[in-house]
Amino acid sequence: MDRRILEFIGDLRRAEIRVSPSEALDALAASAEVGLGDRDTFRTALASTLVKESRDLATFDRLFNLYFLDLQALGEGVKKALGPEDPRVRELLDRMLAEEGLELDDLTELLLRGQGSEMEMAIRASGQGAGLERLMYFLQVGFFSRRLADRFDWSAVEADLERILRLLEERGLDPGQLARIRNYLELRLEAFKRMIRQHVERELERRAWRQGEKLMREALSDKPLFALTADEIAQMKNVVARLARKIKDALALRQRQEHRGRIDTRRTTRKSLQYDGVPMEIHLRRRHREKPKLITICDVSDSVRNASRFMLQLVWSLQECFSRVRSYAFVSEIAEVTQAFNTYPVERAIEWALKGAPIDYHCRSDFGYAFSRFARTELDALDRKTTILVLGDARNNYNDPQAWALRLIRERVKGIIWLNPEGQWGWGIGDSVMPMYAPACDYVRECRTVAQLGEVVDTLVHRWWRKGR
Amino acid sequence: MFQSVEEVQQRFREARYIASRRVATVVYLAARMGRPVLIEGPAGVGKTELAKTLSDVTGRRLIRLQCYEGLDEGKALYEWKYAKQLLYTQLLRERIGELIADAPSLPEAVGKIAGQEDAFFSFRFLSPRPLLQAILADEPVVLLVDEIDKAEPEFEAFLLEVLSDFQVSVPELGTVRAKHIPLVVLTSNNARELSDGLKRRCLHLFIDFPPPADELAIIRLKVPEVPAELAKAVVNAVQKIRAMDLRKLPSVSESLDWARSLVILNAQELDPAIVESTLSMLVKHEKDLERVRGALDKVLAE
Repeated sequence: MDRRILEFIGDLRRAEIRVSPSEALDALAASAEVGLGDRDTFRTALASTLVKESRDLATFDRLFNLYFLDLQALGEGVKKALGPEDPRVRELLDRMLAEEGLELDDLTELLLRGQGSEMEMAIRASGQGAGLERLMYFLQVGFFSRRLADRFDWSAVEADLERILRLLEERGLDPGQLARIRNYLELRLEAFKRMIRQHVERELERRAWRQGEKLMREALSDKPLFALTADEIAQMKNVVARLARKIKDALALRQRQEHRGRIDTRRTTRKSLQYDGVPMEIHLRRRHREKPKLITICDVSDSVRNASRFMLQLVWSLQECFSRVRSYAFVSEIAEVTQAFNTYPVERAIEWALKGAPIDYHCRSDFGYAFSRFARTELDALDRKTTILVLGDARNNYNDPQAWALRLIRERVKGIIWLNPEGQWGWGIGDSVMPMYAPACDYVRECRTVAQLGEVVDTLVHRWWRKGR
Repeated sequence: MFQSVEEVQQRFREARYIASRRVATVVYLAARMGRPVLIEGPAGVGKTELAKTLSDVTGRRLIRLQCYEGLDEGKALYEWKYAKQLLYTQLLRERIGELIADAPSLPEAVGKIAGQEDAFFSFRFLSPRPLLQAILADEPVVLLVDEIDKAEPEFEAFLLEVLSDFQVSVPELGTVRAKHIPLVVLTSNNARELSDGLKRRCLHLFIDFPPPADELAIIRLKVPEVPAELAKAVVNAVQKIRAMDLRKLPSVSESLDWARSLVILNAQELDPAIVESTLSMLVKHEKDLERVRGALDKVLAE
């Protein structure tokens, strides 16, 4: 059993669940404590020792079900597949076998009398040396099923079956009953072969589970945002959520380095009274790292909508890394969409910002107009702690860029970071006015893929606000 | 301590705690393997209660360490009673004078005082905090480290050290080793990620909102005054509210509070008026409250 558990742990590791050797040992010890009697208890024993993140539990359950088959349920399933067993046929067979004292092959024995669970065990055992670890694609299933089947000695089974039928004939059984028995044996043989194929398919699923997902995630992170299909957008949400968690976790670790600072005279003196005025314990004034205020201004026109979507998702999932987040959306008219994020869950708020905000979504982008409106109405709300994150391709449709507005805004805030979902080679060509806005920005970054987006936000959270303190 | 998982379930039930098979299995394993249990899950599903019940059931004393930001070793492990030491030195000044009266030179006087150091650095002047208490205890105890995610990562590392070999070294006294390995329960609300080391060391248990049948059993057990029909209606409504998209979902503790308040108000069934007026027991955010009020007929539907 221990080997089976270790193999299962291998599966978990392939599915990106981290399991350390000490946890593996714990799992063995725990399973020895509870035994295999109750499947759920056994599952809990493994889960509590191997899975330490609640978000991995679903993966664990799924793999567990693939790997530790519910043999009882399986036996029931096979019984159902075989149809109602004819007790008379069975009885007849049993009686005859006992009378004649036939020496049957183990496999025949299994086919005649075995329960589903025993058959499964036999198949699994024969799969040990069949090279199943090379199984990777669906197309290989047939090959491996045959290979597995070949490991059984079918000629012996056939010979046995022939012998049984001949014997029955000799004993003068009527043809109708003979046919029934033949039918029964054939059914069982077929069911067994089907079980072999199912076993191989399950094995494939076990191996491939999550592998594909990982590949997809990596591929998606580097895919240009404008080229995403609707399906990919849905998957991308998970990618972004994962990214947000990574950034947040890293931040928690980094915060521990904050424990240096000047002496806090008040607390140190207070504490020294206890020791006759001798400052035995020094208290340090903790430096409070100021979280940045963040304002995002997103172009939500068709061309860059995906980029805006993921930036909004990322920023709002990292809310607690900022002291305040406000978001604006524009095509040409600009409107604040923050209230949606305060009312609804992030996903719904994003949909609203991209489609339902009180702006005209069908006009042509006009960055100049949006910035000038922003400067006119929001300038007073800006301060030196605020960082502005602009997302847009700066394709201004030959309107007046009004770069003065952006410069004016820059004077009031800590910095402006511009993310451009268009490749750097296109900046300044055609109606792109990126070069005119760039001088007012502290950073201008190309942001064509989610991976690039992650880098920028990571920098923003970890390094950006240290600057200039 | 426990012979089987069923026994755990049975004895927890007698102590008025409904433990699912999963919970009971992990408790059983923790007791058998001497491992700490790390419990995660939403607030109010009975994480702390589990530790309390464990102490009840086993008859062990419960030592609780509540974590918070800024918790340090001094508050968790031990502190010297400096003030008391100083006071004693003052009071004993004469005795000390006598002691060194016949010392011919300064180094020898220092030597004599040094010879008495043990008198001052002894358990008499040590005030043990929860962790040291758990280690020093003469009989086995249950140690509850509550809301470990509130403490800083350094503290976690330190805790890990204590939990892995249950010994503590006090520089002046030497190493103190636990007489009995305590049963340790840690709880976390997932405010931040815990370190891998700590997770590796612990058995992990995730307690989610209980299935309807269990919740009904819990309400019947904890608030026996509530009529059977009403309890069912409460569970039904709570399940519906949990399916809604709210900021903070009502937990078991909230449904218990709600059931209790309904009993106090002498309600026989859930009619919209009474639900409306007691809803704040269940849903704690203004925005959430509005949404639930808006969907009240759906919530109360069978």
